[in-house]
Amino acid sequence: MMTSAPSHTPVLQVENVTVRFGGVIAVQNVSLTINQGELVGFIGPNGAGKTTLMRVITGIVKPQEGRVLLEGRDLAKDTINERVRGGMALAQQIVQPLHELSMLDNVALACGGAKTASVINSMFYTNREQERDRARSLLERVGLGEVTNALPATLPLGYLKRLEVARAMALEPKLLLLDEPLAGLNQAEAKDLADLILTLNKGGQTILLIEHNLREVLRICPILYVQDNGVPLAFGAADMVMKNPEVRSAYLGGHA
Amino acid sequence: MLYLELFIQGLVQGSIYGLIALGLTLVYGLLRILHVAHAALFTLGGYIGVVVTNTTGSFPLAIVVAMVAVGLVGMAVYKLAYEPLLHRPPYIALIASIALFIASEEIFRIVFGPFGLSYIDPPLQGQIEIFAGFRLKYGEILVMGIAIVMLSALAWLSAKTRTGIAWRATVTDPEMAAAFGINIQNVRYLNFFIASALAAVAGVLVALLNNLVEPTMGSVPSYKALAIIVLGGLGSIRGTLVASLALGIIESFGTIYVGHLLDRDALAFAFLILILMVRPQGLLGGK
Amino acid sequence: MAYEITLLTTMAISILFALSLNFISGFCGQISLGHAAFLGTGAYASAMLTKSSIPFLLTLPVAAIIAGFFGFLIGLASLRVRHDFLAITTMGVGFLFVGIVRKQDFLGGELGMAGIPSPDMSRESFMVFCIILAVIFAVFSLYIRRSWMGFVFESIADNEDVTRILGIDASRFKLAAFVIGTAVAGIAGALYAHHFRYIGPDSFGFVQSVSVLAMVIVGGVGSVWGVAFAAAVLSILPLLVQFIDDYKLLFYSALLFAMMRFAPDGVAGIVQRIFGFARRGS
Repeated sequence: MMTSAPSHTPVLQVENVTVRFGGVIAVQNVSLTINQGELVGFIGPNGAGKTTLMRVITGIVKPQEGRVLLEGRDLAKDTINERVRGGMALAQQIVQPLHELSMLDNVALACGGAKTASVINSMFYTNREQERDRARSLLERVGLGEVTNALPATLPLGYLKRLEVARAMALEPKLLLLDEPLAGLNQAEAKDLADLILTLNKGGQTILLIEHNLREVLRICPILYVQDNGVPLAFGAADMVMKNPEVRSAYLGGHA
Repeated sequence: MLYLELFIQGLVQGSIYGLIALGLTLVYGLLRILHVAHAALFTLGGYIGVVVTNTTGSFPLAIVVAMVAVGLVGMAVYKLAYEPLLHRPPYIALIASIALFIASEEIFRIVFGPFGLSYIDPPLQGQIEIFAGFRLKYGEILVMGIAIVMLSALAWLSAKTRTGIAWRATVTDPEMAAAFGINIQNVRYLNFFIASALAAVAGVLVALLNNLVEPTMGSVPSYKALAIIVLGGLGSIRGTLVASLALGIIESFGTIYVGHLLDRDALAFAFLILILMVRPQGLLGGK
Repeated sequence: MAYEITLLTTMAISILFALSLNFISGFCGQISLGHAAFLGTGAYASAMLTKSSIPFLLTLPVAAIIAGFFGFLIGLASLRVRHDFLAITTMGVGFLFVGIVRKQDFLGGELGMAGIPSPDMSRESFMVFCIILAVIFAVFSLYIRRSWMGFVFESIADNEDVTRILGIDASRFKLAAFVIGTAVAGIAGALYAHHFRYIGPDSFGFVQSVSVLAMVIVGGVGSVWGVAFAAAVLSILPLLVQFIDDYKLLFYSALLFAMMRFAPDGVAGIVQRIFGFARRGS
């Protein structure tokens, strides 16, 4: 526990980000800092602008104002693959396994960052064993050690959610972004995956968890960020945040 | 006056493109299939038009027979060729469609001979003078008239009738439409019937303007119509019409001004590639 | 013997050409309906040069570079448009090529270029040369499939967005596929021009683009052996059976349609199903 205690080195900084689609404000003046080793839960009702903020962080949406920094470096000019190379990894809400590849190769490809960094160099490597070994241990770590040779299409959603996590971990990210990993899972599956997320964090992984499943978020996340209608409501220690009257009214139906 | 002349010639050509391309858009909007074989139905329409006119002497009857017959063939094409491929990656249906199109050109060649057919007594050959020195054939005026009537009828059908609403609902969200009790299969049949009937009319009219149908009559329009629906933003009816007319006019001017650099048919694609590089979603397409 | 030599040379050139498209469409999943334009680019470039007395062998790299350069431009286009849009764009490129060549007097215009010199070697040596090039590229293709480049191609063909999320610069890999595939098509074009000694705009039209795509698909998208086999058979079938020659297009298109309708994964897929191989041996 002590070795992985959060420090105060910022990994991700979102500074005064505002996004407008046409005239509609989707995200308004959001600032957010995630430090080394933290597990931050990002919650908010439907239409809170969670997905939009996520897309700003991954670079799919360009904000009109504000900026996003990873380890102090402005990401404004980086494409998504450059952000990933820079130390950000994403497990998507809608699982997207590479269907033609085995579970093992899905992860092995992500493990081969050094071999895929340059097009020319990629021609000169054929050996995948090292990457497959690492992939195997990652799959075991997320509880998929039994299905390494299966094709993703043959497996249920819960497995593919874990594959997303393993593939993101394979990138050895400084920041792991989890976009609603628990969505679509039943209660037992959700609890298992939430436990896994907590374990990863205890191992030192910095995580931003965007999630709808309030029960699991409250169970595992020490820090919460709440947003509603694109406006930040609260950010801080979980128990303090949940006492915030604005947060309570947002969740208990106090708004239109 | 040259400009106006070129402009009107462009509109005539654009109306024909519109009739062909609209059917393609209807099919693409519903099934996400690039229906190249659509142009084979256009050619078939031309053949039926000439054969019926020559045997019965009635041009209006020929139009009706061509529309109904080709409409039915279009439904058969859907049933036999596309329906089994809907769950495959889209390029499978595209290539199947290209194959079907090339095969039908060959079949036309074998059945009707390689040199084409003409009207024995071509109807609507009279001309009227629009202004000094510029005449339009009745046939050309008919082309624009029919295009306007057909396309307005379609707009009315899709906006005001139950069938039209069911069709639009199916295009927007097939699963939701099915949940509301819309018979998706019937919508698709209707879609292919209408699209093919429009192509048939275009075929009959082109056969009239050139007084010739030949096996390869569809090849240029087929690929050009694809360019048009892509320009129009794939699946957008309004975009397709705008792109059809625009292309007709651009070609009309282009053959005069850049005809020495590239031929008329390449012009359409030069325009297409240019637009796509600037607006990858097409002229009027949404994101 | 001369007849067999012609047959084998034609076959080897077709295999090289089909494998070059397989590199782009089969490996990297980028559909192209205008690949014949690159065959044509190489053919015209090489023929122009040998007609001005430059040795044939020297024209091969030039043909590859020019075709590859145009391929690079199409690759850039593929970064803007995808799937159906890419299919139509590449088709447009094919039409554009024919449309432009037709109007250029220095390329022979509508009539094409006749009297292309023979490739400073005997017909036997030329056949062997073509076969060697086809074999080299087949081996190269098989190697690339095993390499990490091939691994990334497979991923892009499967899902380009996911490939990017894995930190891979998919754009550069796509460009590489286009450049390599079109450069090799350019070499195939140079061989083509000096094999038939006549080229015209219609030698490189849409039908040729569809035919080569047919070879890739009938063979089984991505399968080097399947594509080489399909290219070999489809290229010489019309020459072998005169009856088929008259109905060549009907036969081709019916076969292509039947493949799409009943066995979209091609000959390689059929073989795999019969022998129950794993989906993709690695």
